[in-house]
Amino acid sequence: MPHTPPQLQVGGETGQVRGRRRLVWLRLLVLLVFAVLAARLWQLQILEGDRYRLQAAGNRFALQTVPAPRGVIYDRIGRILARNVVSFDVTVVPASVPEEQEETILRTLAALLDIPLNNYAALAQASLGEDSVADPPPPLDPNCGEPGLLECFRVAKQAPYRAIRVGRDVPADRAFQLLEQAVFLPGVFVEPKPKRLYVYGPLLGHILGYMMPVSQEFLEQAPSSEEYELVDEAGVAGVEASFERELRGRKGRKLVEKDVFGREVRVLYEVPPEPGYNIFLTIDVDLQRVATEALRRGLEEVGSPRGAVVALDPRDGQILALVSLPSYDNNLFVGPISPADYQMLLEDERKPLFNTAISGAFAPGSIFKLVTASAALQEGVITPQTRLSAPGIIYLPNKYFPDDPDLAQPFYDWLPAGHGVINVVRALARSSDVFFYKVAGGFPGEIEGLGIERLARWARMFGLGELTRVDLPGEAAGLVPTPTWKRQALGETWVTGDTYNLAIGQGFLTVTPLQMANVTAAVANGGTLYRPQLVYQVQDAEGNVIKGFRPEVLRHVPVDPDNLAIVREGMRGAVAWPDGTASFAGLPTSVAVAGKTGTAEYCDPLPDLSDCRRNENGYLVTHAWFTAFAPYENPEIVLLVFVHGNGREVLEGSKVAAPIAAEILRYWFEERAR
Amino acid sequence: MNRRAWRNFDYSLLVLSLTLVAYGWLMVRSAQPPDRPYALYQLLWIGVGLVCSLGVSLIDYRLLNHLARPLYVVLVLALGMVLVMGRTAFGGQRWLAVLFFTVQPSELAKVGLIVILATFLGRRAVGFRTVAISFLLVVPLAGLIFLQPSLSTALILFAIWGGMLFVAGAPVRYFLSGGVASVAALPLAWNYVLQEYMRERIRIFLNPLADPGGSGYNLLQSRIAIGAGGLLGQGYGAGGQSQLGYLRVRHTDFIFSVIAEELGFLGAFVLFVLLVILLFRLIHIAQEARDAQGRLIVAGVAVMIFFQAAVNIGVNVGLLPPTGVSLPFISYGGSNLITLFLGLGLAQSVALRRHALEFD
Repeated sequence: MPHTPPQLQVGGETGQVRGRRRLVWLRLLVLLVFAVLAARLWQLQILEGDRYRLQAAGNRFALQTVPAPRGVIYDRIGRILARNVVSFDVTVVPASVPEEQEETILRTLAALLDIPLNNYAALAQASLGEDSVADPPPPLDPNCGEPGLLECFRVAKQAPYRAIRVGRDVPADRAFQLLEQAVFLPGVFVEPKPKRLYVYGPLLGHILGYMMPVSQEFLEQAPSSEEYELVDEAGVAGVEASFERELRGRKGRKLVEKDVFGREVRVLYEVPPEPGYNIFLTIDVDLQRVATEALRRGLEEVGSPRGAVVALDPRDGQILALVSLPSYDNNLFVGPISPADYQMLLEDERKPLFNTAISGAFAPGSIFKLVTASAALQEGVITPQTRLSAPGIIYLPNKYFPDDPDLAQPFYDWLPAGHGVINVVRALARSSDVFFYKVAGGFPGEIEGLGIERLARWARMFGLGELTRVDLPGEAAGLVPTPTWKRQALGETWVTGDTYNLAIGQGFLTVTPLQMANVTAAVANGGTLYRPQLVYQVQDAEGNVIKGFRPEVLRHVPVDPDNLAIVREGMRGAVAWPDGTASFAGLPTSVAVAGKTGTAEYCDPLPDLSDCRRNENGYLVTHAWFTAFAPYENPEIVLLVFVHGNGREVLEGSKVAAPIAAEILRYWFEERAR
Repeated sequence: MNRRAWRNFDYSLLVLSLTLVAYGWLMVRSAQPPDRPYALYQLLWIGVGLVCSLGVSLIDYRLLNHLARPLYVVLVLALGMVLVMGRTAFGGQRWLAVLFFTVQPSELAKVGLIVILATFLGRRAVGFRTVAISFLLVVPLAGLIFLQPSLSTALILFAIWGGMLFVAGAPVRYFLSGGVASVAALPLAWNYVLQEYMRERIRIFLNPLADPGGSGYNLLQSRIAIGAGGLLGQGYGAGGQSQLGYLRVRHTDFIFSVIAEELGFLGAFVLFVLLVILLFRLIHIAQEARDAQGRLIVAGVAVMIFFQAAVNIGVNVGLLPPTGVSLPFISYGGSNLITLFLGLGLAQSVALRRHALEFD
């Protein structure tokens, strides 16, 4: 463009001409710009179109897994114990909240969900409960880090398409209120989610267990065919864990088209999920409740920290009740559990998550005499007629100086007066210690004795020292001590005194309440050791039986039925004879009950002292046991009660454990609608 | 007005603008969220716009000479009022409630500026003095609008000013030195003139992947929408990105992406052709104008439409950083549409009086 000096005349000819020429340039500029834009468009749409089409599809389509409804758990007569309910989460997508309605919507939301509108309200709410300075209120959503809704929303707006979760597990009525007002609350979404509900809470906490979000390790170990994802939960305790595979079902999958908020617009393809199998437990909820209440009262009365009740059907090993106190509400784990709640459960001194009935191994005391008696009879060490003197104290001569009475070791009976000269039935009924010392360890000049090897073998034959393989995780095996074990573990030689102790269920022997219930069941049913089972039936969602109940025999304990009958006679005597150990326990008389008490000394080590806790008279503190079956002639239930020692007193099985069993048996035989 | 004058009425301008508006209406209808009947409102705005347009075309543009000064004062006052008491919407105070509907004075300022500059430049030779004074006329308007804040509208005002100076015949070296000065001032502008949100937008434009879920979201999504359209598009009302809400503000600033996705390269190209023809028609009217004032008015209107279209499409195809410029005739919006029709009315007014003889 040539340079021309400014024109002075208004609207002069030169200006006119130049103006028109400039307009030609303007046309060229228009063409050029639109050509550039068209070229760019060609590049995006034609040259790179495929790439963007893929991205658009990635935006819109998602292959989603559809969670399978978890199986429902019932008790033996079909009462629902665990089921799935809907829980509602409330989320807000900042991008779809109209700016001019922001304040109104957030206010409504805060009021409906009862969440703090701003940080100030959150602070006020947090410090309301306590007098002292409160902890800082928790963030509303981890993504925003602010406890107040307004502040949280403001932070979340920086990534406006990411939803913030402002309400978890909102009550159904609130959720429906929100849904009704959905038109006035754009950007607020209510998301239904399945949630496990444990109808009876702590009553069945230990049996049903709970689920937790799967860990990275779990994912790596699980076979890929089971299709676990990081967002899934899996049972980690109780039946939820041991029947995870049955309860879980099979995930479905679907290809969906979704909008920008992730909401499903259209399902293009779907493989429906297969619901998990429903499980019927062998548990009778009513018996469980009665047993729990009886045990709870019993524990409170003596100030015991924990206890257990096991009820079995001796004819097939079905578990009718399995109580462990203290328990916990497994609904706490739904949702999933908050770190604070979990911490609280783990740090609770009473260890509520510990299943005493199957995981606790304790000295059984005199209830072990069932094993000693059965073994001695079967090995021919004694006959039913064999009578031994059972004084209040015996002196075991020193092995190396058998003639020096000063070196002899005294062994005491629980009854200082002793029981006279008695046979095995009476020894069981009176729970003579000395009789069983002699039978197990021998006594010079009177009886040869079983010896440790044979006694230990019989103990293992009755299932002690090994898992019962009950359908629950976390079972303990307990310990049946042997000379080899003692040498290896303690570096000491086995002595006859150890055998004496083992004979009456003391010393190194530890057992779980469930193991002892199973021993009793074997005695009651004539020698069959069943695997204790919790599941009566597995059904698919249509009610077809996938797996019915079949008794599983762990072992036929090779004791002649006649010999077991003798042991049962002793147990009956303990209950029925006026001087039987359980005769004053108030056991029901309407049914013939047979039982065995146990008062097991245990060492509760004192800090700083090389001694264990003792009562005021210097005796070691004890656990209280009672194991029973009924009816005597035709046993249909085995009941075992364990009350952990309180650390201060001698808790006698006959006074502490047997009355609890009495209450439960009275219910079972007298009050239960049969 | 003389009946013969109607022979000069530029029917092709009317038909072109109506075609564009119809095209836009169809796309607004496709892009509107199910619960917001924008297309219905748009019909109302089109009607109001047409009436305004015809009304303005009846006025002899030469009478606007007398209106220029009061108009300038009114505009400055209105823009000042917006700053003081305007309603806050979309992060800016651009709306002013007048009677029963809200208007954006900044939109009207565009047409106002065209009239004022045409009056001012049409009577003078474009020397340094004229350029400087006209610059001083633009600055208060653009400044007030910038403070709302609306950088894009302020830029449009400067574009109109520059375009009109160019057509008025300002020496090319002014433009060259102006360009150099602008580039030199860029760092200063970045630090002292641009507000944080503007800087953020430019940063995101340079690297949208830095925050794909947040601020970079719309840039990526619009590019995906356009790319996915291909040659023929996915069909009217069937664009996945548009219909499922992945595109934000799709009925206004990103409506071009909807066109490109649903109607493809062809649909967009048709729009380009229509816009180019309209602009050429306006330039033609400018060339035919009987005087400098008329020529400048029409050129100003053409520059306004051209600049907005180019910037809007440039943003949509990812060539320019995002600004809130709407696509003329296509985007939803009342003030915007009325402004355009007022501009076309002015052009029509110039066209009607193009031959001096017929008014004798």
